[in-house]
Amino acid sequence: MTYVHGKHAAPKTFLSKYVFSFDHKVIAKQFLWYGIFFLFVGGLMAIMIRWTQAYPGEAFPVIGSFLFPETGGVIPPDTYSMLFTLHGTIMIFYAITPILIGAFGNFCIPLMIGARDMAFPLLNMLSFHIAAVSGIILLASLFFPLGGAAGGWTSYPTLSTLIGSPGSGQTLWCLAIFVLGVSSTMGAVNYITTVISFRAPGMGYFDMPLTVWGLWLTAILNAIFLPVLGAGVMLLIFDRVFGTTFFLAGAAATSGTGDPILFQHVFWIFGHPEVYILILPAWGIVSDILSFFARKPAFGAKSTALAMTTISILSTVVYGHHMFTTQMSPLLTQTFMTLTMTISIPSAVLFANWLGTLYKGSIRFDTPMLFSLGVVFVFGLGGLTGLYLGTVSTDLYLHDTYFVVGHFHYTMAASVLLGGFGATYFWFPKMFGRMMDEKLGKIHFWATMLGLNGIFFGMMVMGFAGMHRRLYNPFVYEHLEKLLPISTFVTWSAILMGFAQIPFVINCVISLRSKKQAPDNPWNVGTLEWTIPSPPIHYNFEEIPTVKCGPHEFGNPNLPEGKDFQYQTEDLVKA
Amino acid sequence: MTLLERMAPPEIITTNGHLIDYLFSYTTIMNLIFFFFVCLGLFGFSYLYSSKRSAKGEYTYGNKKKQQAIVGYLIGASVFLLIDINITRMSNDDMLNEFWNFPKAEEEVIKVEVLAQQWMWNFRMAGADGEFNTADDVLTNHDLHLPVGKKVEFRITSKDVIHSFFIPNARLKVDAMPGRISRMWFETTKTGAFEIACAEMCGTHHYLMKGRLHVHSEEEWNEWYNEAQNLADIGNDNDNIDNFWGWKWESEQ
Repeated sequence: MTYVHGKHAAPKTFLSKYVFSFDHKVIAKQFLWYGIFFLFVGGLMAIMIRWTQAYPGEAFPVIGSFLFPETGGVIPPDTYSMLFTLHGTIMIFYAITPILIGAFGNFCIPLMIGARDMAFPLLNMLSFHIAAVSGIILLASLFFPLGGAAGGWTSYPTLSTLIGSPGSGQTLWCLAIFVLGVSSTMGAVNYITTVISFRAPGMGYFDMPLTVWGLWLTAILNAIFLPVLGAGVMLLIFDRVFGTTFFLAGAAATSGTGDPILFQHVFWIFGHPEVYILILPAWGIVSDILSFFARKPAFGAKSTALAMTTISILSTVVYGHHMFTTQMSPLLTQTFMTLTMTISIPSAVLFANWLGTLYKGSIRFDTPMLFSLGVVFVFGLGGLTGLYLGTVSTDLYLHDTYFVVGHFHYTMAASVLLGGFGATYFWFPKMFGRMMDEKLGKIHFWATMLGLNGIFFGMMVMGFAGMHRRLYNPFVYEHLEKLLPISTFVTWSAILMGFAQIPFVINCVISLRSKKQAPDNPWNVGTLEWTIPSPPIHYNFEEIPTVKCGPHEFGNPNLPEGKDFQYQTEDLVKA
Repeated sequence: MTLLERMAPPEIITTNGHLIDYLFSYTTIMNLIFFFFVCLGLFGFSYLYSSKRSAKGEYTYGNKKKQQAIVGYLIGASVFLLIDINITRMSNDDMLNEFWNFPKAEEEVIKVEVLAQQWMWNFRMAGADGEFNTADDVLTNHDLHLPVGKKVEFRITSKDVIHSFFIPNARLKVDAMPGRISRMWFETTKTGAFEIACAEMCGTHHYLMKGRLHVHSEEEWNEWYNEAQNLADIGNDNDNIDNFWGWKWESEQ
């Protein structure tokens, strides 16, 4: 090995540069393409699901007859179950997690805190390779006899035990989730350590950009709760493969009895924090971008960071609201209901701070900003509709209806997706050294926004009208027949949202192929990643920077004429 | 049919179903007020302070006592006090006074045992002996017959996987879980035929696990019950051990 100034030389070969790279920027891109691939797979599944909901019994257009030749192109009911199971699994674990946490976590954390790489580069590399193995296991499970997992992404036993899912698809699903849990835990440990010990000199915790705060809190939740899910699916594998009865009860439990509800507890102890694991990076990114483009310091940045911390802590003690219909003891139910409600206080603080940032700003509506404003809108809808599900009595009606589907897609899908797109437009010049096209970006934003609100608001409407989830053909119920036109509207909104991604793909391709080099700091932002070239050099920083002020220094009246921001490496300009 | 009619939830057929709709409406009104303010800020500030109209942003960290007081006390506390506390209290009262307030042992109540299985609802009512799991029980599949104006209590379990006993017209559902018995009660107010759904994913034909709830006038129901009771001796396959899936009804369970 050649050492240059105490650093490894930049890798030269294809394998060491693009496949077995220790470089956090390369690993970030690996996660990005991995996530975008699965986003496409999961999105296609969503369209197929929506098709059966609008045109039950009709052949899926274009590719249907190729995928389902035995039914003439109609999606059969067992395949439908697999589709919604894998749509959920893929979107949560294989699309959003790699894009928001894997890609932007890896890319932003070292650059924004002034580090040359992650604390454990080898662990970082393994984290991606293990995720790739997990993805292969999941996709392979589809080709086993009886097909892939079909018990819902929650895969409640006893449906997910041999009683309800005899095929090996479900076992492989558990294995894939377990392996992915290992990968994510590795990433999480790495992020936590990096943030704690690799911050540039002078950077206190409250001098970190809020993006890093969001990613850091996410990593902490991940490190604590993914092992819980790992334990749960491992016990499920034991039940399936080795004949144990952790989750079996009733007539099927011939050799001793366990409890299927135990799995729900284990699953949701992980599952509720998971919601925040997904949304926290988006919150952080949005809090930063709003300030960057309003040309104004983030309003109450410290209280935003503390509100995110509070929500992370509260998220660990509210999971019972997913299980109200299992008839827990009234005392537990009341406790979970009350604790759930308290989450709205820090959430209200977040919203107030976001709007406070916009107030008296000088707002520039570039594409990243549009997406961030979009997050504020859709997360407002998603957050407020959570109240209906937090109160027990309304939950008794709405639980497991499309109202829930609409609600959690607003929070977990719409907000996170918009946040992820905003981040992509924002950091694309730093990642690839090319600007993305603004016009295509704006078309992408408005079409996506229109589509997703049509889908998820439509779903909530259907849910309140009584349509429950995961029905192959809801219209066998007479009281749901009247909802067919709304369902069709939702489907066409989904198709619109699918087509809305074409400008994004074109934009990516055109930008990557363009010869025009992006400036080092196209957005005029002062955080550390914008002090270095686009794309950054090997090991990011020639000299480790010293941080002298906060990340949101905009509009300081003492700045010289013609300048409205300052870098974190500069002394705060005083009068 | 207008859009509003399409969006309407099913007709309420119980004495307490309206409580859930009331809480839903209350929460909706509160949400609309708060979402209105969010949108007012979002769109209003975007319009007023776009870089076209506002050349320079105000230089403030928003961490002054007054600013944080507005955020914390005014906005945070008002959400908690106006929405959260209210809806939690209302929901809790509804649960304690109605939905968890199960009929007492001495009350006259129609008792039904429910066994869910892939993909069917089995119902059992006690026969003339008033005891469950005996040869004269009235057994039905898919169809549930109830009299109007009487309290009904269900005890629900499952044979195989988790199902969920959902009666949209009563606004109630409860999971049917293997190895556990869950409970639900309501008092019907309307006659007619309604639907029973399974609301928890229970396998490929989850969507076909549909039952029917027939609410009859009292005379009609008595007639039905007596006939079913008479037929029980002939109709029930009492040599089949599987037919005795019921259990003894404990008055306090």
